[in-house]
Amino acid sequence: MSLKNIVREFRVKNKCKAIGRRGRSHIAPEGSSVSSSLSTNEGLNQSIWVDLPPELLLDIIHRIESEQTLWPARRDVVACASVCRSWREMTKEVVKVPEVSGLLTFPISLRQPGPRDDPIQCFIKRERATGIYRLYLGLSPALSGDKSKLLLSAKRVRRATGAEFVVSLSGNDFSRSSSNYIGKLRSNFLGTKFTVYENQPPPFNRKLPPSMQVSPWVSSSSSSYNIASILYELNVLRTRGPRRMQCIMHSIPISAIQEGGKIQSPPTDFINQGKKKKKPLMDFCSGNLGGESVVKEPLILKNKSPRWHEQLQCWCLNFKGRVTVASVKNFQLVAAAAEAGKNMNIPEEEQERVILQFGKIGKDIFTMDYRYPISAFQAFAICLSSFDTKPVCE
Amino acid sequence: MSSSKKSSDGKSSEIEEAVASLTMPFNKILLTSSDGESFEIDEAVARKFQIIAHMIEDDCAGKAIPIDNVTGDILSKIIEYAKKHVVEPDEDEDEEAKKKLDSWDAKFVEKLDLETIFKIILAANYLNFEGLLGFASQTVADYIKDKTPEEVREIFNIENDFTPEEEEAIRKENAWTFNG
Repeated sequence: MSLKNIVREFRVKNKCKAIGRRGRSHIAPEGSSVSSSLSTNEGLNQSIWVDLPPELLLDIIHRIESEQTLWPARRDVVACASVCRSWREMTKEVVKVPEVSGLLTFPISLRQPGPRDDPIQCFIKRERATGIYRLYLGLSPALSGDKSKLLLSAKRVRRATGAEFVVSLSGNDFSRSSSNYIGKLRSNFLGTKFTVYENQPPPFNRKLPPSMQVSPWVSSSSSSYNIASILYELNVLRTRGPRRMQCIMHSIPISAIQEGGKIQSPPTDFINQGKKKKKPLMDFCSGNLGGESVVKEPLILKNKSPRWHEQLQCWCLNFKGRVTVASVKNFQLVAAAAEAGKNMNIPEEEQERVILQFGKIGKDIFTMDYRYPISAFQAFAICLSSFDTKPVCE
Repeated sequence: MSSSKKSSDGKSSEIEEAVASLTMPFNKILLTSSDGESFEIDEAVARKFQIIAHMIEDDCAGKAIPIDNVTGDILSKIIEYAKKHVVEPDEDEDEEAKKKLDSWDAKFVEKLDLETIFKIILAANYLNFEGLLGFASQTVADYIKDKTPEEVREIFNIENDFTPEEEEAIRKENAWTFNG
């Protein structure tokens, strides 16, 4: 949405507000005590800041956004987006998607593709006792410490048919009916095939009167999409060597990494303006699926084959310092250049690009670096599959 | 622009003086606020306000310029800042001077309440005084840092105009954001 439109809307809104305010009693914002020190003129009952020209407010928000890039300071940007409608619109204009900025800001950032060049670097902590895996933004616990931003958590649930991991925004709420529920990972009995499901809240129903609206965030009718399949090759012959894995990304077309390709992210519009296509105001955590969950030619990721190091007598991959402990779980995923004999038309530099890298750096600590075109959630889900022990594959 | 006429006798010099006192010395400009307060400042200082600089360039600046949108109390603060910033020290060349000026700036804004800062922003915007506008905006941005949305609303006396559904979504968003 252009700045001009925001400015125009802002002015109209505030005109109406000024008129409506005359007879209304002062309503204190929730959670705060009425501050008498600020509103000494009860008669005016109007914030002077409402008269701040939009371009100046935009400048202020811009300053905050460009300064507060690291967590926990990045909270300030989300705080700005939570003040009121006009501030939210401004903030949404200012914040760029992770693909462009390399920064995670809102929960929805977790469902958006990573940057093309430098990957977003995260680490995963495993809690063996509870079966909980936590994804943090940062290089490692040692470097980022207690201030690391918790992005996602997953809890492993054992089922008769195989393992299941429930992925949530919250560190301790793994209920599937909760609004924190993002998706799940389900394995088959042998642990050779995993399916990733991403949860998508139902679209906001504008036809119902406000009193009849169920909060879109807590709804049993939210749909679950199968967005990826992860396959581990059965190592029946027990030949030595690393296991091979393949990820079929049902929601990402191969065109995303072809020349000039990009991912379409149709917005889930909560503030529908009829014909006017507007950037969604309330896209709390809606993904980039837009109804089309299976694409015709999905992107396929394969793990990069390690080289045999004669002197060290082991298989080696260049993790660029991000993985320091040898483990069968470690992997690097690149786009498959050819599949079933068919050339995928991927530019050579894209073939070399490591889209997802995962590996051990300590006891129960693993690093995860991901890039365009996958999102943090997709990357996390794929890494979780690596935790499920697969004796048949080793 | 004082008269360069040579005085032939005492009376002419009186006239000269009278003329001189009426007309301002060429490098001074008079600004008058909306509430009638007048400030005589050097042209160099006045040039910090782009709208005045342009008027001077276009030769349509009289010696007395009315500033209709700004009251005297705010205008005096702005002029105070402008005087200090006529020459901006280069960080690389004169670190000492830059530090001193930054310290002055901090003290300057410390004494001001938020409402005054707001008025300064509007006035600096009107006068097109980029340096002060940037500084004042940064001050406001710093106010917002490390605050919850409720605190920001309280400080700026802004109304929460989200619908209950939107409020719910924002609560969830904030739960993730502030989950530590």
